[in-house]
Amino acid sequence: MSSKTPKGPDNVTRNLVIGMVVLVVAVGAIFSVLSNKENTSAALPSSVSQEDGYGIVFNGDLTGVPVIDIWEDFQCPVCARFEQTNGDYIEKLIEEKKAKVVFHTLSFLGPESSLAANAAACASDENKFLGFHRAFYQNLPAENSGAITTDYLVALGKFVGITSDKFKSCVANLDYKGWVNNVAASGGKANVNSTPTVFVNGKEIRRATSGADLGDYFDPAAFAKAVEGK
Amino acid sequence: MKKAQPWIGLLARLILGGVLLVAGYLKAFTPDKSMMAVRAYEILPIWLANAIGIILPWLEIGAGLLLIIGVGIRYSAIFGSALMVLFIIAIAQAWARGLSIDCGCFGGGGTIDPSQTKYLEEILRDIGLALLGLYLLRYPNTKFALEKNKSREPKSSEQLTPGE
Repeated sequence: MSSKTPKGPDNVTRNLVIGMVVLVVAVGAIFSVLSNKENTSAALPSSVSQEDGYGIVFNGDLTGVPVIDIWEDFQCPVCARFEQTNGDYIEKLIEEKKAKVVFHTLSFLGPESSLAANAAACASDENKFLGFHRAFYQNLPAENSGAITTDYLVALGKFVGITSDKFKSCVANLDYKGWVNNVAASGGKANVNSTPTVFVNGKEIRRATSGADLGDYFDPAAFAKAVEGK
Repeated sequence: MKKAQPWIGLLARLILGGVLLVAGYLKAFTPDKSMMAVRAYEILPIWLANAIGIILPWLEIGAGLLLIIGVGIRYSAIFGSALMVLFIIAIAQAWARGLSIDCGCFGGGGTIDPSQTKYLEEILRDIGLALLGLYLLRYPNTKFALEKNKSREPKSSEQLTPGE
């Protein structure tokens, strides 16, 4: 039986293995921490405000109107549902200057979310964020299926009328990668724990409590009420 | 039973270590999600929850590797058990307070639909894993471990061996 062997534990091997494991853990943890830090020198898309958690802001100059913060992930099907339920209304609020709207494009569902968020920022530079946002959700591919590629995003851009080479290179070169990470970091600070999360004037709107209840998120009338406070 | 004990220990090591390794691996490369999962428990201040979300997956990987290789079994087993006890407390308080979250144990996590919560299963699983850790703490002598450990026999001479 092995327990009869007189040799004690082989200390060199033991310490070597422990050392290696500790090294893996330390390197991994340090790398994770560093890559999640806010990068203040990252390139920012137009209409992004650092004060608004790096979100893409519409009607930032308005005062005395409701402020709607929408935290979403482009790969999240429930976000697509929110967009389909309230997208028209939100775009109308923006058009008619009745609310300040801030879109925060998180990327926690996977690398393809980052690609999409980056492309949306590129679209924002072309003043086509809303169109891109809508078109993306209308054609939402399966999560992390590999469908969201540079070609896909450029084609989607073309579909909403973006033809510039600048957009293409912005998508292909991930010009706003640093910004995407900053949005993610600010989501952590804002304590956003699921998508979509929507705040009106800094207060989260009511989430559904059971299957039959739609909450403020998926009932257009309730959402309008939450926004307008009536 | 005495003969079976090192084999049971091996099984305990592989299950607890395997679960820790897989759970850590699934979270380590999606830190945004992992931080979100910890925040969703609504126990810790946000900065601390974020720090744990980023670092804990790597500690799980480390403990999992040590258990599978069979080095420092007692330490990694007590770490695993303590972790499970903390998870059980966290999940139980979320359940009691009526939060609807996913435990985020294997990636995922965050607020979910109330109909999708699985608190009881999660707690039972973690109790099982905690018991495996305690078993290893009591009987660290297992098959195919890199480091040979003597199980603490209930002999008076060995009872007080310092745990160095």
